[in-house]
Amino acid sequence: MAIVPMKRVLVAARRSDRKPILELLQRAGIVEIHGSDLQDDVFGRQDQSSARASFEKNAAMAQEAMEALARHAPENKGLLSSLEGRRTLPLSGYEERVGRRDEIMQLCRRILSLDREFAQKQEQLPKLESRLAALEPWLSYDLPLDFTGTKKAAVFTGSIAGEVTLEQAEAMLEEYAPEVTGREVHLISASPEQTCLFLVCGRRDAPRLQEALRAMNFARPPLTSVNPAQAGEEIRREIEALRAQIAELDAQIAELAGQREDLAFAQDYFTMRADKYSVIGELAQSRRVFLLEGYVPAAECGALEQRLTARFSLVFEAEDPGEAEEVPVLLENGAFAAPVESVVESYALPARGEMDPTTLVACFYYILFGLMLSDAAYGLIMVIACGLCLYKFRNMESGMKKSMQMFLYCGISTTVCGFLFGSFFGDAVNVIASTFFHRPDISLPAIWFEPIDKPMQMLVFCFVVAIIHLFVGLGAKFYMCVKAGQLLDGIYDAVFWYLLVGGAVGYLLTVPMFTEMLGLGFTLPALAGQICAVLAGAGTLGILLTSGRESKNWGKRLLKGLYGVYGVTGYLSDILSYSRLLALGLATSVISSVFNKMGSMVGDGVFGAIVFILVFVVGHSLNLAINALGAYVHTNRLTFVEFFGKFYEGGGRKFEPFAVRTKYFKIKEEN
Amino acid sequence: MSDMGVFFALLGAVLAAVMAGIGSAIGVGMGGQAAAGVVTEDPAKFSKVLILQLLPGTQGIYGLLIAFICLTQIGIMGGSSDISLAKGLLYFVACLPMAIVGLISAIRQANASVSAIALVAKKPDQFGKAMIFPAMVETYAILALLVSILAIFGIAGVNI
Repeated sequence: MAIVPMKRVLVAARRSDRKPILELLQRAGIVEIHGSDLQDDVFGRQDQSSARASFEKNAAMAQEAMEALARHAPENKGLLSSLEGRRTLPLSGYEERVGRRDEIMQLCRRILSLDREFAQKQEQLPKLESRLAALEPWLSYDLPLDFTGTKKAAVFTGSIAGEVTLEQAEAMLEEYAPEVTGREVHLISASPEQTCLFLVCGRRDAPRLQEALRAMNFARPPLTSVNPAQAGEEIRREIEALRAQIAELDAQIAELAGQREDLAFAQDYFTMRADKYSVIGELAQSRRVFLLEGYVPAAECGALEQRLTARFSLVFEAEDPGEAEEVPVLLENGAFAAPVESVVESYALPARGEMDPTTLVACFYYILFGLMLSDAAYGLIMVIACGLCLYKFRNMESGMKKSMQMFLYCGISTTVCGFLFGSFFGDAVNVIASTFFHRPDISLPAIWFEPIDKPMQMLVFCFVVAIIHLFVGLGAKFYMCVKAGQLLDGIYDAVFWYLLVGGAVGYLLTVPMFTEMLGLGFTLPALAGQICAVLAGAGTLGILLTSGRESKNWGKRLLKGLYGVYGVTGYLSDILSYSRLLALGLATSVISSVFNKMGSMVGDGVFGAIVFILVFVVGHSLNLAINALGAYVHTNRLTFVEFFGKFYEGGGRKFEPFAVRTKYFKIKEEN
Repeated sequence: MSDMGVFFALLGAVLAAVMAGIGSAIGVGMGGQAAAGVVTEDPAKFSKVLILQLLPGTQGIYGLLIAFICLTQIGIMGGSSDISLAKGLLYFVACLPMAIVGLISAIRQANASVSAIALVAKKPDQFGKAMIFPAMVETYAILALLVSILAIFGIAGVNI
């Protein structure tokens, strides 16, 4: 339960050792390397951006080739394959592939050029097809379409929009070119889109007829030097040839699918090298020496020094980081709390001087989630699903593993809450017993009580959870103040609020109207009320006097104090906000009941059972999905807004070590 | 006129389901449009934007919940549905918070959801924070739900 303490290290080594040292550090993955600002006559930075860019280009090319390969020969991936994690590659396999890297890049280039060719050919297809379609109306015409006539006669071929009969065409020509007498019109084809015509007239009249045709919006046909049927046949043959080529290319690329592993390796390898070169670019280097600065988790520091000094002659210095330094944050928690680290991280990592809230968050996170989902069967489903995944895919990436563990714990808590509140697929036990076995007396009794029968009791329970949660948050605030040596601040900002809120709650418990409304069944004696009132008053006075303490002017200070006291409304709304525990818990069980009821409406018998099973499976899957989502979102909200609002700000920077950031392979060290 | 009690009670139940349902349908639809836009650019963000899209969907469920509780209480789902006019009106009024707040909060929450989807599209690592903004709006739907639930359960004990 803590933020991992860091050491600041400085390594000075010979430049000739640079490559092996960096590779060792990269594989170890425990040093966050910092850019050096050292810039003088001896030391300077080396510009490595061009080397890096070329590695990045290679990595991108390998990725592109893999994508192309996936298009032509899709990989058979299971639904859960994303859980499998990276494969382990022994060092010997690594070395062997590094030796073949040029060959692999050659393969990339080949795949990409084949794929480009494939794409080009595929683009040609529609062009040919549209040319073929344009010839379609002319197929019955037996002259080349570019035929314009003989010495004496002019020939026009073309189309006009819309469907026209021969008579209508004649009439139109009569209208547009009455003076052209010796003409001949033939209809070649007619469709609702266009009518194809063939016209002959004497050479003399040609210009006038052409003029008339232009006025009629006469469109020229696609030109062919042979007659349309032949031209169509040629295009068809071309298309077939092209299709064959495309299929051939596709097969050629698909044949290379066996090399997928090599491509994946190339992508990993070049990404790694690009990372390394971006680090080299940051180092301060002289002609023979380079300096490396960075942060290392203190626990790993000794071992790292040993590993480095054993193999190389270098200087290794480690020191504690200074007070003002912004040290990168790495969280380390036990098996119970670690899964929630990602929740904390998605809010913000602890800033300098703050504590790691993960354990506190974890305690309540699982409980709150369980209260909101609160169905034993759903909880068991979550436990089994997450448990199976964790068991089957042991090689899972750590982030995914932590989420799985988190939902596993949430599932356990959900199961417990489900039994406490008597919900197992809602009221499924009772519905099944009474519908199919005619035993309405059988039902799953709640160990504690059923919220749907006693919503008030559940609401009171939610408020109790709220007060505990908020007070733990305040406690954390007090703890941090004390740890920072500011006991007074702790008293002002935490203890006074304990007095005010605790006193107010205690006082309310002495008011009979209030306890009756909540159905508590007890009322504290008046004496307790007086004590509570005094405590609350003391808290109020304290807040009034101290919450504006940074102002020297007393008038201003009291005004700020008043505003501070007004913050009590914030506590009220914070506590009310926990009523979502009741609302979401009820939502789960009531919607389950709705589905159970729907399923049982057909009655018993085989048909009834089939309908029941169908409705049951679909309905409960839906309900589980939606309510698990709701529980997750609102647990986060209660944590981030209500709980963190009391003590936690965050703002730390994440520890990002120089490491092997691969996508497909984990390289196994052999020492 | 004495039959009108159950009519008003049913009207309330139906309104809760209908109005909150409409709100959620609009809201989830808005979220879906924005989410689809993000997925065209980057299919890997599907699961994240899906969660954000679904956030305004809960009001519809709360509406269903109120409707269902109300239906069981007034005996439509079996039992006697003999309710006085005054009680019927009380049920009607009790359903109103969920109906009205459900409708409006779902749409408002959808606005926040759409913006959160845009946020995740640009900064996927800020998903945790993006989720909180729409969830803030939902608080008020939950409060309305709570008032409706407590009122409906309370009416059974009222002696009129």
